[in-house]
Amino acid sequence: MKSILTISLGMLFAAVLISSQAFHWYRIQEMFHFDSFHMFSLLGSAIFTGVISVWCIKKWKISNVNGEEIRTNKKNIRPVGNSIGGLLFGLGWGITGAFTAPVFILVGWKWQIGLISILGVLLGTLIFGALKNKLPK
Amino acid sequence: MEPLAWYIAGPLIGITVPLLLLLRGKQLGISSGFRVLGAQIFSSWEYFKYDWKKDFWQLEFALGLIIAAVLILNFTELGIPEIATESAYGVVSKEIYELENGILFFAGAVLIGFGARYADGCTAGHCIMGNAQLAPSSAISTVFFFVGGLIATYLIVPNLFNS
Repeated sequence: MKSILTISLGMLFAAVLISSQAFHWYRIQEMFHFDSFHMFSLLGSAIFTGVISVWCIKKWKISNVNGEEIRTNKKNIRPVGNSIGGLLFGLGWGITGAFTAPVFILVGWKWQIGLISILGVLLGTLIFGALKNKLPK
Repeated sequence: MEPLAWYIAGPLIGITVPLLLLLRGKQLGISSGFRVLGAQIFSSWEYFKYDWKKDFWQLEFALGLIIAAVLILNFTELGIPEIATESAYGVVSKEIYELENGILFFAGAVLIGFGARYADGCTAGHCIMGNAQLAPSSAISTVFFFVGGLIATYLIVPNLFNS
């Protein structure tokens, strides 16, 4: 039941990324060329909605469906990781026009490119796993 | 097709944050799903010796992404931008997702996988969820995601895809 719920939320998330075309290489290129306001206002309003939602949940100490208080954890600052890792992620974003969610979307559409991309992200994850202790935080 | 307007799409993306918190008690994120996959392959590696079951839901979420893509992109035109010129952003008369660009997608994807783990999150976990919490680590990461994207767009993409 929980799985079906999670899958459904994934489908909703993908439906929006697809119909807004945020998953598409072209829209990402357009954004990085500052040729359209679309992606900026999309991301901006998504973050704004998130900020308001999290604020309301904290303010009124809203519980989840199991009756537990919702606690959110901020990710710790990792000066080198956030910057160098972020930069490398951004390079991949610019080249493929995809972030992580669109990689899965590609699997359901252009499955060869999607599969190649999934394997690439997995390899990148494994490389990090192998090097983790040698990298500065 | 024209894309769905930002003022509808943006809030719908943002609303995923409280929906996941309320219904599943989870913080939005996707790239940790790959750490779960790594844990299945190299379970003895230190980085993969962790309670991956807590992140397993991200693979179910990813399955939802794939299902929706199959349904929407194969049966509707919703996701396909009308590209105004033949040579938009250096893609000359060819479909970007053709197999001949496979090596570029693979290389870019390796950067995505490595970078997301090193930065401790991706666009979902940092740009949306982290910024929604006003987390400093997410603000830093978001800035560098964007800097990397600009470098790739102006210095790498024109030289790679044009050949």
